[in-house]
Amino acid sequence: MIKAGQIDKGTALLIKGQPFVCIEREFVNPGKGSAFVRLKLKSPSTGQVLSETMKSQDNAEDITVEDRDIQYLYNDGTNFAFMNVETFDQIEVPMANFPDYQYFMREGETYRATFWEDQLLDILIPAKIVFTVAEAEEAVKGDTVQGATKYVTTETGLRVRVPIFIKQGEKIRVNTETKEYLERVNK
Amino acid sequence: MPFDFQSQADRADMYRRIRSFFDGRGYLEVFTPTLSPTLIPEPTIQDFSTRFVNEFLSSRDFYLVPSPEIFMKEILASGSPSIYQISQCFRNCEQLGRIHNPEFSMLEYYTLGYDEKDSIGLTEELVRQLICDKSPAWLSKPFRVLSVREAVMDACAFDLDDYQEPGALIDKARSLGETPSDDEAWDDVFNRIFISHVETGLADDEVVVFTDYPVQIECLAKAYDDAPYRHRWEMYMGGIEVANCYQEEDSVDKTLSYYAKEGQRLKSEREGTQLPCPPMSKRFPSLQVPASSGVAIGLDRLLMVLTGRRSIEEVLLFPFEGLLGEQVF
Repeated sequence: MIKAGQIDKGTALLIKGQPFVCIEREFVNPGKGSAFVRLKLKSPSTGQVLSETMKSQDNAEDITVEDRDIQYLYNDGTNFAFMNVETFDQIEVPMANFPDYQYFMREGETYRATFWEDQLLDILIPAKIVFTVAEAEEAVKGDTVQGATKYVTTETGLRVRVPIFIKQGEKIRVNTETKEYLERVNK
Repeated sequence: MPFDFQSQADRADMYRRIRSFFDGRGYLEVFTPTLSPTLIPEPTIQDFSTRFVNEFLSSRDFYLVPSPEIFMKEILASGSPSIYQISQCFRNCEQLGRIHNPEFSMLEYYTLGYDEKDSIGLTEELVRQLICDKSPAWLSKPFRVLSVREAVMDACAFDLDDYQEPGALIDKARSLGETPSDDEAWDDVFNRIFISHVETGLADDEVVVFTDYPVQIECLAKAYDDAPYRHRWEMYMGGIEVANCYQEEDSVDKTLSYYAKEGQRLKSEREGTQLPCPPMSKRFPSLQVPASSGVAIGLDRLLMVLTGRRSIEEVLLFPFEGLLGEQVF
């Protein structure tokens, strides 16, 4: 147990049995009255964001989370399969917990992940990733409504809107949060 | 890191304008002690204590004032004109950061014959006087004034008048997603709702004054005779609480009963803890404070807003956090 006043950004808490990580913390001292903290908590597994106001002296259930390296093995359309690179234990998690991550992870690569006990809470994905264009549509002549862009599909299956000059086989850098094209990468 | 000298120039300019504003209106600037042997009992404010030691005189605990109120009201009661003061104030156990520092600068002004509504107009004029070329444009807009009851109605769609019983307010808070304990006091439950649902809805580009705070929040502001509220307001600038105002309690009986009640609460909450429990003056609660309204403004926050800065640490050369972490021999 910790006092709510001790909660900081990054503190992991158990709220109604579910793990949440504090992403914003603000102290509020009313002009007259007890001190409070206003918290924004995010569930690493579902992305759900909770706003919680607690008295600084209230108790909160904190949990210890741990970072481990995991290797992405494959997905079967329902679950992701990973392997803990230290213990070689295999881990399966529903793909729904990490939407679109199949487009950002490459089989065989190792990722940093946050665990609470045996529960995988978060997988660290780089903010920008370089992909190879596996399929590129032909640009439709005269169609400038989209500002001279077209869709391509990366080797991982991610569809990205790119400028019309991008060709199959070229490399592009993509923002993993917005899934937007950033630039062409010339090697 | 070099010091931000500009923040000092901005502060000095703000202080000059404040003095010119009040001096021009006939207020007397007063200078009262930082160390006091007694404080007004306020259980939710934690105090700093220190000790006077002199082997030939006597020794006594002193407290760093959380506000100069205790001295300024004594000056008023002695027959002074309207008064103001700029001073350093101290609150222990404060958090540190963007809008909190345990030592802070306060402007307090008491206007004879004013009620708290008159003080809104005065404060609006003062803010106009302090606007500088760095100030955001929205500071020039008229203040938005609404009662706490209206604000709760707007944000949470319920009438505070109908939730005067602690149990009823706790149930309402829970229905709004809050998690008060079963025995939480009415004022704590109210603050929880206000902080979560009203404050969070405040725009960052307006000045809002919430008037008529619930009578359950104990303080030395006069209570209405016919409604469960007090003649008290708080001002928020861009969502940040900057000022607090009372129509001052002028009934000696009510001040004495406040002292008895809050003094008892202070003792029972502090006994057995490491926190200082400042003694209460015998003299102060019996003073006849004249009909007046007092405003307290946090000057570090005000300067931050007036000059478009993001944190009070940008207007302090020595933020507390640095002092707290200082290495010593």
